[in-house]
Amino acid sequence: MTDGTTDPLTRPLPAPTPRPRFEAGFLTPYAFIGPALVVMAAGLLYPVVMAFYLSFYDWQIGLELEDAPFVGLTNFGRMLVDHQVWEVLWVTIRFGFWTITIEMTLGIALALLLEKPIRGASVFRTIFILPLMVSPVVVGLIWRYLFDARVGWINYYAGAWFGIEPQIWLGDPQLAFFAIVFVDIWQWTPFIFIIVLAGLQALPSEVVEASTIDGATWWQQILFVKLPMIRSILVIALLMRLIDVFRGLEVMLIMTGGGPGRSTELLSLHIYNRAFETQQLGYASAISVLLILIVFGMSAAILLLANPMRERSDV
Amino acid sequence: MCTTRTTPLATTAILAATAAFANPYAPYEGQTIVVSWPALSHFQKAETLVEEFMEETGIDVEIDALQYLSLRDRQLLEMSKREGEYDVVSWVVMWKGEYASKGLLTPLSQFFARPQLVDPDYDIDDIADAYLQNGGVVGGDKGYLPGVSGALYGIPFGAETSILAYRTDIFEEQGVEVPQTYDALRQVMQDLDAAGVPAMTSRGSTGHQVTAAWLMHLAPLGGKIFDDQWNPVINSPEAVEAAEVLREVVQTGPTGIPTFGFGEAAAAFLQGEAAMHLDTLKIAAMSRDPDLSQIDGNVGYALHPEGSRCGAETGGFALGIPANAPNPEAAFLFIQYMTDKAGDQRMVELGGDPIRMSTLEANTEGFDEYPVVLEQLPCADPDWRPLIPEWNELNIDVLGQALTEVITTDGPIQPIMDAANEKARAIMEREGYYVWQSAD
Repeated sequence: MTDGTTDPLTRPLPAPTPRPRFEAGFLTPYAFIGPALVVMAAGLLYPVVMAFYLSFYDWQIGLELEDAPFVGLTNFGRMLVDHQVWEVLWVTIRFGFWTITIEMTLGIALALLLEKPIRGASVFRTIFILPLMVSPVVVGLIWRYLFDARVGWINYYAGAWFGIEPQIWLGDPQLAFFAIVFVDIWQWTPFIFIIVLAGLQALPSEVVEASTIDGATWWQQILFVKLPMIRSILVIALLMRLIDVFRGLEVMLIMTGGGPGRSTELLSLHIYNRAFETQQLGYASAISVLLILIVFGMSAAILLLANPMRERSDV
Repeated sequence: MCTTRTTPLATTAILAATAAFANPYAPYEGQTIVVSWPALSHFQKAETLVEEFMEETGIDVEIDALQYLSLRDRQLLEMSKREGEYDVVSWVVMWKGEYASKGLLTPLSQFFARPQLVDPDYDIDDIADAYLQNGGVVGGDKGYLPGVSGALYGIPFGAETSILAYRTDIFEEQGVEVPQTYDALRQVMQDLDAAGVPAMTSRGSTGHQVTAAWLMHLAPLGGKIFDDQWNPVINSPEAVEAAEVLREVVQTGPTGIPTFGFGEAAAAFLQGEAAMHLDTLKIAAMSRDPDLSQIDGNVGYALHPEGSRCGAETGGFALGIPANAPNPEAAFLFIQYMTDKAGDQRMVELGGDPIRMSTLEANTEGFDEYPVVLEQLPCADPDWRPLIPEWNELNIDVLGQALTEVITTDGPIQPIMDAANEKARAIMEREGYYVWQSAD
């Protein structure tokens, strides 16, 4: 027999020790992220705030900022009726649709193909990620000469192998648009490939094995097991590519300069031209504000709809 | 007593003063001037002359050579500071109006009025008038040419006009005459095309380049950008005809003109892929360069064909002094040295382009194009494009877009130019050009 005080099942639990309001070292994480926050605020917030500020002025390089006339919302009013802005926004949306759709599809497909150890997989992986290592300026130069109508390899081999007449790739609006989409896919599909491959390789093998035992086919495993489990990674990849599309500038600037006409002029290139070709820094800032709002809006919408972080915490 | 003490000192002072007068560069010896100019052939060749200037004067020179399309941003940023770094800037003639209107340049009269700085043999009248007007003068009725309110801000250096370069072997083989008029030029293009020979190369990429190509034909065909009241007339019959010529150039020329800047257009000619090149005279030096050219010995030069009038282009670069230059006197001496008669002759020897009539006349034997340039310069038009601050926007956004449509489509040209004219008018209205017309 034991009395109630010694029976572990009936013995009353000791009163909980009140938790201190601030545990020792609770500031440590903030101390670690503090410097990064300061750098981000300086590097990110300052330009954004300046863009908003400048959009209310008619400022040109060569004038002191304090001498620039305040024009209120004039730049925004002008932007709303400026068909050029809406034209390049439409080009940007089309460009984003085609590139992201194809890059996501190809990147996922390649990752699934090279997920399992096969002979030469590391060689393939290295080859696939090579374009990512090339600076966008170099990419623009390389492809500009490859697509060159006179001396470009593409015309040469298209003619030699398939008998195709030389095309003015970068001088025809449709072909030039195709060319910049192609180059973007060439450079950025590896980015999706790497991210998705890392996600697939981090999947717990038990889940995949369990689905195999349950009789799931290869397709069913991809559609109902693997892709849903890396959903958060796919959303992040999509988001990063979307932001890249809206801020991409160098390749188009070098390959086509935005032409012919405005067929390859993305919004960021248009802002650059407004700021540095026509010297309308105030107006360029107003268009930059539009760009910031679009990117912010789309990012927020994707994160709200997909919410990768919530899913990750559920896991 | 007093005299005996002061005599050696006075003698020393007189000797020093004499020495100073004997060498006008002495007061500035040891100064370092910074020069901003483009990384282009003429300027690369001028570096030898810069070294000679340093040796002769004791003034040090640092060159900041940039790709010419990046030059303006850098110069504007530097010149808008309270204390700049540049003592000398070289601008494309299109930028002079903007630089001067923003108060970024020093009028050269400030220096030409100081005899201790000016070489009495400089002879500014010897510089080709069209070059001087086009590159250096800001003011006058239009704001960018000579006139009562005009002032000199720069001296041309690396200036140019247009001439026709053609392949003598192809012309001989095909039995065609060198065109002297636009009608003849259009016929020759058709004839060469019919014979399977790409006729004439041209710039054509969207923006500044395609506009430059069209302007090349606009002036001789009698067209203008504005009438005397700043109303755009880029849909006039002459302007539409210039656009038609440009379309024909693209249709009968080498493959890829809609992607060509100046470099690609020149390369097509130099690599033997076109029979004619109608653009800057710089093609002559490039044709002689074995690293660039496969056609040396087969190139002839002729005047820019005439339409309703004679009107070659004027362009290139000029040298001037920023308002915030740290060493303006030494900068002036540098500009003077580079552009005086000896400097101009030296530039010819180094492979550059002269700006003086006397230099052209003295070198007609050695350079096939010089007799043509001498004949061309009197009718080179310094007003072939309006060098107003708004020109960049008109050039790139309006004309650069419309003319791309002209050369990449087959539709009627008049509606394209009508729409461009409306856009140009809207820009001029926004910038206040019609305020006084409204007041009337």
